[in-house]
Amino acid sequence: MTLLRVAEPQEERAHRLEREFQAVLDAAVDAVVLFDHEGRIELLNHAGERMFGYNEQEVIGLKVHILLPEPYRSQHEDYLRHYIELGEPRIVGIGRELLAKRRDGSEFYAELAVGRVQGTDPPRFVGFIRDVTVRRNAEEALRRSEAQLTIAQEIANLGNYVVHYDGDYEDYWSPHLYRVLGRRFGDPYIGVYDHLAPLVHPADRARWQQAREELDAGARSMDIEYRINHPDGTLRYVHHIAQVTLNDDGQVLREVGTIHDITDRRRAEDEARQMQERIAHFGRISTMGEMAAGIAHEVNQPLTAIATYAQACQRLISTGNFTNEEIAEALAHIGAQALRAGEVIRRLRTFVKNREVRRELMEANRLLEDVLTLAQTDARHNGVQISIETASESPLVQADAVQIQQVILNLIRNSIDAMQSVPESRRQILLRTRVDAEGDVEFMVADRGPGVDPAAAADLFNPFFTTKPGGMGLGLSISRSIVRAHGGKLWCSPNPGGGARFFFTLPAITASAGSSQQ
Amino acid sequence: MRQNQANARPTIFVVDDDAAVRDALKLLLRSVGQSVETFASAQEFLDAYSEDRPGCLVLDIRMPGMSGLELQQKLNERHSILPIIFITGHGDVPMAVEAMQAGAVDFIQKPFRDQDLIDRINQALEKDAANRAALGERNDIRRRLETLTPREREVLDLVVRGKANKVIAGDLKLSQRTVEIHRARVMEKMQASSLAHLVRMVLEVGQA
Repeated sequence: MTLLRVAEPQEERAHRLEREFQAVLDAAVDAVVLFDHEGRIELLNHAGERMFGYNEQEVIGLKVHILLPEPYRSQHEDYLRHYIELGEPRIVGIGRELLAKRRDGSEFYAELAVGRVQGTDPPRFVGFIRDVTVRRNAEEALRRSEAQLTIAQEIANLGNYVVHYDGDYEDYWSPHLYRVLGRRFGDPYIGVYDHLAPLVHPADRARWQQAREELDAGARSMDIEYRINHPDGTLRYVHHIAQVTLNDDGQVLREVGTIHDITDRRRAEDEARQMQERIAHFGRISTMGEMAAGIAHEVNQPLTAIATYAQACQRLISTGNFTNEEIAEALAHIGAQALRAGEVIRRLRTFVKNREVRRELMEANRLLEDVLTLAQTDARHNGVQISIETASESPLVQADAVQIQQVILNLIRNSIDAMQSVPESRRQILLRTRVDAEGDVEFMVADRGPGVDPAAAADLFNPFFTTKPGGMGLGLSISRSIVRAHGGKLWCSPNPGGGARFFFTLPAITASAGSSQQ
Repeated sequence: MRQNQANARPTIFVVDDDAAVRDALKLLLRSVGQSVETFASAQEFLDAYSEDRPGCLVLDIRMPGMSGLELQQKLNERHSILPIIFITGHGDVPMAVEAMQAGAVDFIQKPFRDQDLIDRINQALEKDAANRAALGERNDIRRRLETLTPREREVLDLVVRGKANKVIAGDLKLSQRTVEIHRARVMEKMQASSLAHLVRMVLEVGQA
């Protein structure tokens, strides 16, 4: 920098330059140290004093190397000697990072640049030292957090990405995303979605495509689970969450997302579900087995009596050795015993009804929502989507939650079974609560299956009637008993547009009526 | 008296807690001309039954209070020879096996065909008659044995051991002639048609 002043006396000018130089030194954030060809310090500015903890007067004439710890101290002496003797500019002009040493012996990271003062011989040097502790710490922290993030992603088996829409940047892939999506390091660059598209499982592709289109159409986020055919040949389940950032004009700047490999979790869920099913199955079988043994014994008695009376009558009549009264009495017994057998069956049917019930006041919507949680795994496993519409007035019912949830679960289970024969895209169940014209709470489970065969409709609720291979035919019969025991009705009707709709009602309890029962 | 009972008409004793089954069985068995007595419980039967009555027992295996198996046990303790036909439900096969091992003649599952039951009852009655006849004969042998004098009894014991008259005379320090007279008295009192018959009768009552 050359300051051009006109008509300034020589001495005044030197004096002014001196002041300006001093001002520059004082204002500098970096430490400035001036030293001669033997390394003796001639000047240390205020920033240097603060940085190193020395008073300028203390260090004048001392070797500049005192500002460095070993091994930098010896290296620095060598560099200076080399420069003087051989003209090798090892340090001059080159910024390098090293450790510096304060007066109290503590060390800190510093960036050092040294320049030769032009026109001096023997040469004199000026050194600039910048404390980079904060920057180094920040860098270190960043490195550590990045390493931790990578480890965390490995542990969670989750990768994240950024797709930029506001410029020609490549998508960011977190290191673990490579693993999750099976892209190898060193493979040519490919965008996250370009890589994903061919991997998405055909059965999930439409849903995946739809979620992407919704993002493009202005949705702010996406949350979807789907399957991919991983390049390593395995089928993986991933949970993909994405969020978009818009600029002030509403244009998409970038999309940030995570892709979480949940295969293990899904597998564990599947196993847990299968275990549950097995337990439930055995439970059903053993209950049915006990019931069947009980029925067999109870029905056997009247059947034995009926058969024996009838056979005795035949024999009496064939011998001619009988009285009419005798035969009439036997026939009366036969009739009574047949009714007795019927009574056993009726008792079986009301078996559920007679179980001790615990009725509690509860929200109908809550009842349905809780079941949804229970049914979701089963549904997802069978490619069925369940949606729910709850009554806005959130009506209350007096019910045994376990029993009513069994009814709803049973209906959902029937719907899921019924829809095995229809394409996955049609496998939808709608759950609904509403208040009907009478003020009762109406629950609905509607599906898009083949619907109820009109020929079977009449028998649908009869015990032991079933259209399912391996079914017991008790589900709907018991369900209807439960609903009736609650003072409601259970029926079915065709679903407009295909499928079946099963309804049941529970008497509504108004909030005041409920509270008056305390 | 005993003789009269053994030759009396056999009775079918039905024990079943189910009144309808009991009543129906009574009608069925009456229709084939059998004499029937029914009991609503095992205890009721035990209280009423005396061992010398011929016939058979049709017994429900599953009853409240004393079960059919327990009744069988009690009758065995009394050395009853009354044949037992068990009536079982279809889940009672293990119990029926137990009953058979304890000496029941048969079992039949409910509900049953009348002819099956009647056939089994007839077999049981035949068996009972044979048992009672055998029992009657043994009692006759015992009564005849009781008519022998001590000396005749000594001779009998040696005869059935296969000893010759000369040896018996030596053992008992009697003349051979006296032994021959005793032996003829024994044959006469025991109503034995031959030596072989005599030996068989003595073995029958286990007094050899």
